[in-house]
Amino acid sequence: MSIPIRKELRSPLRYADYSLAVVAVLLSAIGVALNYSATWRVLEFNGQDPATYAKRQILFVLIGILVMAGAAFLDYRLYRDFANQAYLLVMLALVGVLFFGVERNGARAWYEVPGLTFQIQPAEFAKVAVVVALAAFVANQDGHLRLVTLSNAYLMLAVPLGLIYLQPDLGTMLVFVAIGMGVLLVAGAQIKHIVVTTAIGLLVVVGVFNSDDLGGPALLRQTQEQRLTAFLDPAFDLQGASYNINQSQIAIGAGGINGQGWLKGTQTNLNLVPEQETDFIFTALGEEFGFVGVTVLLLLYAFLLARMWFISRASSDLFGAFACVGALCMFTFQIFQNVGMTMGIMPITGIPLPFLSHGGSSTVVAFGLVGLVVNVSARRHLA
Amino acid sequence: MSDQLNRRLAFLGILIVGLFAALFTRAWYLQVLTTEELADKALLNHVEVVITQPTRGRILDRHGVVLADNVRNGVVTVDQSRYAPGQKESVLGKLSDLLDIPVSTFEARLQDLQSHPLAAKVVATGLDEYGMLRVSEASLPGVEAKWVMSRVYPQREIGSHVIGYVGAMSESQTSRLLEKGYLPSERVGKSGIEQIFESDLHGEPGRTELEVDSTGRVHQILTQTAPKPGSDIHLTIDADLQAAAESYLRQGLIAARKTVSDDSGFFFPAIGGAAVVMDLRNGDVLAMASHPTYDPNWLVGGITSLEYQSVFENPYAPGALNNRAIQGVYSPGSVFKLVTALAGLESRLISPRAAYYDVGYFQIPEKYGCTGRCTFYNADKAPLGIVDLSSAITRSSDAYFYKVAHDLYWIRGDEQWAIQDMARLLGFGSQSGVQLPFEKTGRVGGADVKKSLFEANPDAYNPYGESPQWLPGDNINTGIGQGFVSVTPIQIANAYAAFANGGTLFSPNIVERVVSRTEDQFGTSIVDFEPRIQRIAEFPEGSGVVREGLQGVTSKARRGTAWRAFEEYDSRGYAIAGKTGTAQAEGRNPVLMRKKEDSAVFVAWAPKHDPRYVVAVVMEEAGFGGEAAAPVARRIFEALRAYEQRWPDPTIAFVAPRPECPEIPEALRGDQAFVGYVPEGCPWGIQVPRANNPEDADGDGIPDLEEGSR
Repeated sequence: MSIPIRKELRSPLRYADYSLAVVAVLLSAIGVALNYSATWRVLEFNGQDPATYAKRQILFVLIGILVMAGAAFLDYRLYRDFANQAYLLVMLALVGVLFFGVERNGARAWYEVPGLTFQIQPAEFAKVAVVVALAAFVANQDGHLRLVTLSNAYLMLAVPLGLIYLQPDLGTMLVFVAIGMGVLLVAGAQIKHIVVTTAIGLLVVVGVFNSDDLGGPALLRQTQEQRLTAFLDPAFDLQGASYNINQSQIAIGAGGINGQGWLKGTQTNLNLVPEQETDFIFTALGEEFGFVGVTVLLLLYAFLLARMWFISRASSDLFGAFACVGALCMFTFQIFQNVGMTMGIMPITGIPLPFLSHGGSSTVVAFGLVGLVVNVSARRHLA
Repeated sequence: MSDQLNRRLAFLGILIVGLFAALFTRAWYLQVLTTEELADKALLNHVEVVITQPTRGRILDRHGVVLADNVRNGVVTVDQSRYAPGQKESVLGKLSDLLDIPVSTFEARLQDLQSHPLAAKVVATGLDEYGMLRVSEASLPGVEAKWVMSRVYPQREIGSHVIGYVGAMSESQTSRLLEKGYLPSERVGKSGIEQIFESDLHGEPGRTELEVDSTGRVHQILTQTAPKPGSDIHLTIDADLQAAAESYLRQGLIAARKTVSDDSGFFFPAIGGAAVVMDLRNGDVLAMASHPTYDPNWLVGGITSLEYQSVFENPYAPGALNNRAIQGVYSPGSVFKLVTALAGLESRLISPRAAYYDVGYFQIPEKYGCTGRCTFYNADKAPLGIVDLSSAITRSSDAYFYKVAHDLYWIRGDEQWAIQDMARLLGFGSQSGVQLPFEKTGRVGGADVKKSLFEANPDAYNPYGESPQWLPGDNINTGIGQGFVSVTPIQIANAYAAFANGGTLFSPNIVERVVSRTEDQFGTSIVDFEPRIQRIAEFPEGSGVVREGLQGVTSKARRGTAWRAFEEYDSRGYAIAGKTGTAQAEGRNPVLMRKKEDSAVFVAWAPKHDPRYVVAVVMEEAGFGGEAAAPVARRIFEALRAYEQRWPDPTIAFVAPRPECPEIPEALRGDQAFVGYVPEGCPWGIQVPRANNPEDADGDGIPDLEEGSR
């Protein structure tokens, strides 16, 4: 019985799983290199500093590392107490962005911060808030979710989903669905409840997709509908909706086994893949580093996810386990959806690839969640 | 930790492994299995190929007169597919004020039939810098002012059928030409030299490969090749002679329209015709005229559909685009008697000097039996009295040749088809091989031809209840160039050229050489068209008598059929031998709604005894060959005689025939008594050049004094 006492006395950070943090930093370094590759040629052509994007991404990564350290340092059980406040705060931010946000690509999802060159996306932070709040909520249920509790959990998900639908941002909505499904499944929701609610959810999705055909208002934007149609039939409207799909697959396929070398991919350098520094950053990797690079990246991600899975199992309490599951589901879904989209096995939705895509909010949030998992790993021996 | 939690975490873990496996599989598929295909697409993606149109080669006559050239042309195009309703009218109105062209002209040109319905239409051409500036400054929607290289034909309609014209590429050839690097807007040769030498004239397009990004901005030039200009085509045509031939042909047709036909009592319609002038020593075509004609410039610029209809769909002058010299198929009429005569000599049915009593008709003797038509009349049923082979040709006795053809019909074996064989030997029934597209073969009829025509259309080929068998009457008709024989004007010219030069049948050349214009080869000939000999025919013994007959056709003393046309002709040193023909045309004139008039044919060479040039003239529905066609040929010879002086010495390519030497007893060889009777090249006798005989300036062997008195 002496060992637990000794562990109590020691700093929990001795037991932290730093390999996660190392992999996260490694991934973001790859991300910076790819950001540079995807943008330097056009920036140089326009007479700008070719490293503009890369430098900005380095800044985001540094902020992210600080946030990760901070998230790992404080005892995660403190977060549980502030989970509801954080949730409410982020929901308010989501409401506010509908009124005060700036519009980009047809979605009103960003706060412009005066004096800064970048914008803040509250939906990214809402992911953390929902992971923590949902984990805290279901952790109190002792491993068995009754229908009422499940309904309340759905309600917690429905609020951000509704607010993000109004932006609209289909991809981020799907991330929330993935987080919710994963956490609730692991937290002990009954299989029949999950099946029934999934069926209802699918009906709603089909209804939204065809709302205009059913006589109601068109609830899905035309671009979204086109992208889904293009996913099902890539030959449809080559220069329009399926342009992204075709160009990104061409870029990845042109990479071959060894890739064309850093800064040498023509698709990447000549800006032929749209949104390449953000949602389609994986194509730069595929073209310039080939199948070898893709394998290395996917193995790094797989290591990250595997560590999260083990930490979730090893967690000393349910809150920690569920929070890790939430983070695990978020990363899994974002990686699979984003990489799958660039390779044409998933429809196009604007979801960033964690650590690689250019963007402040998503990078900081990814580091923050890794910090949270490190935190759980550090305190796994505490009763 | 409960078991349930562990089970569900395990499920989640398996799910994640499955998702990653899917990603790996897809990456393997894209980057290993299909990488080559996708890499090709990536290459096409960032490389933009810019094609630069090469300068089209020119077409020149034998002295370098430019017949087809390129000019920088300011054109205004209107893309009407872009207009909202009502917008077109306002734009055209403004454009009309700018260019001072009525809106109705624009409307008409927008109906242009020559180009794709949705393509931008050329509504105005030939603008100067100032006009172009005004149009581009007005910046009207859908209206574009641009400089293009356009084809121009500076000699206008002269030689138009030979030169051809360029036009928008047809749908069927588009894909093939685009592969060769043509631009979709480029115009390609549609007929004549422009078409058949398209690949030489076009040159090779320049090609620049640019690296571009998604917005089309150029990052660097990858490769660059300059366009290679097309080669010049030098024709054997003499532009002046061509102009003269066209002009005389047109005048001849106009004159024929003022003549009343004895058959019908109406004026001759004289709707069209053709004239071919050839150098019979090497097969060069010196002029090739066809009427009705057109100015190819009309077809290059935007032409309104009304203009198009008035020229190219005019029922009174049909087939303006057709080159009648190679595409017009006519019954040869009496000019075919040359073939019948040679066939008769070949099969030894004709004794050249034997007398035949022409009573005005020929009746198939009763002993042969007779199916179908049995009595065949001369033209006008005129009896010519006693003729031999020579005078039968000179005076064009039909009865004489009816008999020859009839007798040939009853020879069994190979020689039954002697007429047809001789016709084919002289190039009838097959393309002459001149370097022009769409040449017709004509037809040399025999039993098989009649049978197949009869089977294809029994009504049209059986008007008198005749059988599909080859009857004596069919052979008799063929003997005077009617019925199942049809020829093109160039075949007539070529056959007479072969006869006149002693048996060398050429494939006529209308192109002399193809001259490169590329930087490294500028001015050198890529292709030289040497005289092309198709075959060398050996004419039977007695063909000298045929020649003698032909030499008399223009002679009044010998009552030749064309003497009237040559009455005023100064024949000194340039006497003419030839043959008239008056061919009955089958069917009815579709516009005038009456039986077609006879076509006039005349073919001749000059000078008589030292043949150099052959001229063939065919005039549709214009009357007698001697009255309508011979004067045209005469005037062409007069022009030829003048222009010949300035031409360089031609290549002599024909093979001189073995002279036909009379059998003279050994003892008498070398005797003065045989002066004038012995042809050049005979090992015996003494040859006195005929041209040096002061009493016989035209060299026809009959002293001039005597000729005048008769």
